[in-house]
Amino acid sequence: MSKSMTATRDILTGPIFANNPVAMQVLGVCSALAVSNSMQTALVMTLAVTFVLVFSNLIISSIRNFIPNSVRIIAQMTVIASLVIIVDMVLQDVAYELSRQLSVFVGLIITNCIIMGRAEAFAMKMPPHLAVVDAMGNAMGYGVILLSVAFVRELLGAGTLFGHEILKTVENDGWYLANEMFKLPPSAFFLIGLLIWAINVIQRKRG
Amino acid sequence: MAFKKDTVVGTMIFTLVLCLSCSFMITGTAEVLKERKLVKKRDELKRNVLLAADIDISGDKDFRAIFEQSVKPLLVELDTGVIDSQANVLDFDDRMAAINPQTSSKPKKDIAKIKTRANQARVFKVFDDKGELHAVVLPIYGKGLWSIIYGYVALKPDLNTIENVVFYEHGETPGIGDFLDDTAWTDKLKGKQLFDEKGQVSFKVVKGGAKAGDLHGVDAVSGATMTGRGVQRAMQFWFGVEGYQTFLHKLKASEV
Repeated sequence: MSKSMTATRDILTGPIFANNPVAMQVLGVCSALAVSNSMQTALVMTLAVTFVLVFSNLIISSIRNFIPNSVRIIAQMTVIASLVIIVDMVLQDVAYELSRQLSVFVGLIITNCIIMGRAEAFAMKMPPHLAVVDAMGNAMGYGVILLSVAFVRELLGAGTLFGHEILKTVENDGWYLANEMFKLPPSAFFLIGLLIWAINVIQRKRG
Repeated sequence: MAFKKDTVVGTMIFTLVLCLSCSFMITGTAEVLKERKLVKKRDELKRNVLLAADIDISGDKDFRAIFEQSVKPLLVELDTGVIDSQANVLDFDDRMAAINPQTSSKPKKDIAKIKTRANQARVFKVFDDKGELHAVVLPIYGKGLWSIIYGYVALKPDLNTIENVVFYEHGETPGIGDFLDDTAWTDKLKGKQLFDEKGQVSFKVVKGGAKAGDLHGVDAVSGATMTGRGVQRAMQFWFGVEGYQTFLHKLKASEV
C-alpha cells in the first residue's frame, strides 16, 4: 500500500477510535447526552451531523484559499449554519415527528464543536478530498459513541431497540422492570465515562 | 487584477459572495419544500380538528376523507360574528393574520397575553353520519409560562359543554407543563361547562383539585401553576366577548 493511501486511511479510521471526537476530545457531548435515549433519534442525529460535517468540510476546504484570515471563523459559521438550516428543513419535511423529538438539537448542530473544530483544524489546511475523508471519519466516531450509548440506554431504559421489543417489560406483562434512569440524560454521562475509560485502557495496552 | 483576500476590499467581496450563495442555498431548499409544507400544514390541521371533535382517526382510517365528509370550515368575523363566505378557510394563515396590523387589533382586556388578535378566526362545524351537528371546534391560544399554548376546543351542540380539547403546540416545561399533551388530563375537561347561568365564562383550573361535581372546574397540576393559569385565561379570553361569544350567540340563535 502506498504511503498516501495509508495516510488517507489513518485520517478515516483515526477519529473512530484512537482519536474519537466525543470520547477523546470530549467534543459534542451536549447533543450526545440529549439524543442518545433511543436508537432512532441517535441514528437520525448521526446522519444529520454526518451531512453537515461532510459538506462543511468540503465547502470550506474548497474555498480555503479565498477565506480572508480576519473573518475565517465567521465564514465557517455561515457555511455550517446554512447547512444546518437545510438539514432542519428537510428533516421537518420527511420526518416531522422525529424532528419534534430532536427539537432544538438539530439547530444546535451549529454549535457542535466537532464541526467547527474540523473546519478550523483540518479543512482550512487540507485539500477537499482529504477534508471529506476526515469529515466521514469524525462523523463515524461521533456516530459510534452515540449509537452505542443509545443501544444501552434504549435497551435498559425501555426494553426496546429501534422501537422493537427485545426485553418484555413489566408494563406489558413481561418480566423486565425498565430502569427509568437510562431514559434521562445523566445515564449518558456514566456510559460515555465508561466508554472513555475502556478506550483509554485499550489504547494503553496497545502502547 | 488578482483577488487579494486579506485586504479590506477582498474581505468585503468574499463576505458578500459567501452570504449571497448561502442565502441562495437556503431559499432554494425552502422553495422546493414549500408546496409539500403547505399540504402537511393542512393535514395537521385536519387531524387536530378531528381529534378535538373526538372522532376516531386511528389506524389507517383516511382522515382527509373523514374531514371532507363531516367538517365544514368557516371563517368568522370575531367582533360581529358574521361569516366570511368568500374565504379559502383551510389556507387562512391565522398566525400571520394575528400579527399583521391590517387584519388584527389589540384586545381591550388582553387576559390571554396574546398582544394582538386576528379580526377573523376559523371555526369548524363537525357533523355526524346523519348530518346532525356533532361539535363546533374552535381554535384558542394564550400565553402559558414560557410559550404560547395552541389548542382546539370542541363544544357540544349546546355550545356550552366541552366535547374534547386538544393542545397541539406549546413550549412549556418538559415533564411539568407538558401535561397538556397528556390525554389523562385533557379527558378531565370533557363534559365541563364553559358558561355559568349568567352566560359568563366560568371555566377554571382549580389548584388543589376541583371538587367532585364541579361543572366548571378541572384539577390543576402541581408545579405547573402558570401553565394551568395560561389555559384558564386562554379559555376566558377566547370564549369571552372579544373571542367567540358573539359568534356563539348568533349560532345558538341559528342565525348562521
